[in-house]
Amino acid sequence: MIRLVLLLAAALIFAASGVEKAQAHPHVFVTVKSEIVYDAEGKVTGIRHAWTFDDMFSAYATQGLDQKQQGVFTREELAPLAEVNVTSMKEFGFFTEGKLNGAKIAFADPVDYWLDYTDQMLTLHFTLPLKAPVKVRDMNFDIYDPVYFVSFALAEKEPVTQSGAPANCRLTVARPDDGGAQAKTLGESFFNQPDPKNPFGSQFANKISVRCP
Amino acid sequence: MPVTQSPQRAPLLRIAVLLALAAILLAAADQALAQSAPFGVPRPQAPAAAPEGIVGWLLAKQAEFYRALSGAIRAAKADGSAVWGLLGLSFLYGIFHAAGPGHGKAVISSYVVANEETWRRGVALSFASAFLQALVAVVLVGVAAVLLGATARGMGEAVRYIEIVSYALITLLGARLLWTKGRAAVATFYGLQAEHDEFQHAVAHAHAHSHAPAHHHGHDHAHHDHDHHHDAHCGHSHGPEPKDLAGPGGWQRGLAAIVAVGLRPCSGAILVLVFALAQGIFWAGIAATFLMGLGTAITVATIAVIAVGAQGWARRLASSQPGTGTLAMRGLEVAAALFVFLFGLALLTGYMVNERMFPA
Repeated sequence: MIRLVLLLAAALIFAASGVEKAQAHPHVFVTVKSEIVYDAEGKVTGIRHAWTFDDMFSAYATQGLDQKQQGVFTREELAPLAEVNVTSMKEFGFFTEGKLNGAKIAFADPVDYWLDYTDQMLTLHFTLPLKAPVKVRDMNFDIYDPVYFVSFALAEKEPVTQSGAPANCRLTVARPDDGGAQAKTLGESFFNQPDPKNPFGSQFANKISVRCP
Repeated sequence: MPVTQSPQRAPLLRIAVLLALAAILLAAADQALAQSAPFGVPRPQAPAAAPEGIVGWLLAKQAEFYRALSGAIRAAKADGSAVWGLLGLSFLYGIFHAAGPGHGKAVISSYVVANEETWRRGVALSFASAFLQALVAVVLVGVAAVLLGATARGMGEAVRYIEIVSYALITLLGARLLWTKGRAAVATFYGLQAEHDEFQHAVAHAHAHSHAPAHHHGHDHAHHDHDHHHDAHCGHSHGPEPKDLAGPGGWQRGLAAIVAVGLRPCSGAILVLVFALAQGIFWAGIAATFLMGLGTAITVATIAVIAVGAQGWARRLASSQPGTGTLAMRGLEVAAALFVFLFGLALLTGYMVNERMFPA
C-alpha cells in the first residue's frame, strides 16, 4: 500500500519533469545556403553562410530599429543587429560543427558579415574562417541547433556549393529527413554510402561532407 | 494488521522516499541546463531529446500550428474574415503548446498536490495563470513595442527581468510550501512514533475482541475505538490536520502561485504579437494571444485535475493504514513542495548562468 502511494508520488514527479524535458518547438526558422571556400592552392579557408530567417522572426528582430523608409532596412541600418548576431552566436559555435581530416574544425571569429532585408525576411551573411587553411582529405560538418530552438533547413536549390575546390573534391549533402543512407548527392554521386566513422547523430542535422581522395 | 506490517515497511518507505527525492533532484538539475536565447528569443530550458511517441507527436503538432500562425496573420491582414482561422489555430496551438514545454503545469500541479487543493481550485489556478500570461505578453509588447518603440533587444531584456522575478517567486512559493508541509510531516512522524505503544495496545485489544462469538460486531467496535483514539492523538495533539494547514485565505493564497507561473510570457506569443504589429493588425495578435492562453489553460487545468484525482486515490489507499498512510500522504505533499522549490531554483540558476544571452 505504502509502496503504491510512493509509486504514485514518483510517477507524478516523473510525469511533471518528463513532460518538462520535452523541448519546445523551434521559434526561429533558418533557411541555409552555404559555400565552402578554397584558396588558390586548393586549401579550404572557411565556410561562407547565408542564412535566411522566417518572416515572424525577421519582424521580431527588426522591431523598433531606425529606418529612413518604411518597410526598407538598409545594410547600414542593420549593421548593429548583424554585429550582435555574429558575436552572440559564438557561444553556440555558430551552429556549425564538424571534423576536418579527423580533427575538430576550429573556426576563427566571423568576418564579412552583414544583414540583408528582402521580402520582409532577414538574411545573415557571414564567413567562418578556419584558423588556418587546410588541404582537405575529408571534411564533415553539420548545421543544426542541438536544442532545436533554431530550426535549420537547407535551401531547396543548391544549399551548399564549393568555391575554388580542387577537381577531385566531391560534395555530399544530407538533409535531416533523408536519413543517412539516402544522402543526397550533388555533382557526381560516387560517394553514396553512409560513413561508419561519422554516424548520423541528430535527426535534425544537416550533414555536409567533402571527400578529396 | 497495519501495525504488525509497519516495522518491516519502514525501511522500504525510507528508501522509496530517498529515491523519489533523488529523482526530483535529477529532474531539477536537468532544468538548469542549456537555457539561453540565441537571436534574442528566450530559449527553452530543456536539452534536446529525440522526440518520439506521444511527446514527439505533440511537438510535431505544435510546431505545425506555430508555423501556420504567420500565414494566418498574413491572411487576416489581407482578408478580415480570415481572422477566425487565426483564432482557431491559436487556440489549438495553446492546447498543444502547454502539453509540451513551459513550467506552468508542473508548478501548478505540484502546488495543487502540496496544498491538497480541490480540483476546482486547480482549474481556477490554471485559467487565472494562463490569462495572466497572455495579459503580460500583450502589455509587454503593447507598452514596449507600440508605445516606446523598443527593439527586440529591449523586449528581450524586459522578458529576462520578468523571468528572474517569476522564477524567484516560484522558488519562494516552494520554500514556503516546504516549510509548512515539512513541519507537518515531521510532526506526523513523531506523533506516530509516540503513538506506537498505545497503538499496539489498541490493536491487541481489537484482536482479543475478534475471538468473541459476536465476531462482526466486536471487531468493528474495537476498530472504531482505535480510529478515534488515533485521530485524537495524531491529528490534534501532535500536528495540525492537512485541512488546517491549507487553511483559509482563498484567492490571496492562490495569488502567489498564479503570479509566479503567469508572470513569464510565452516566447511564441511575443513573436506573434510583434509580427501582427509589423503587419499593422496588432488587435489580431492580441486576440490570438488570448486564444492561446485559453488553450493553455485547458491543458494545464486537465493536468492539475489529474493530479488532484491521483492524490485523492492515494489518500483513499492511505486511509486503510492510518499511521504510515498519513505519513506517506504528508511525504507526498513534501515531495510536491520540494519539487516546486527545486524547480524554481533550477530555473533561476539556469537563467543566471546564461545571463550573457544575447539579444537580436
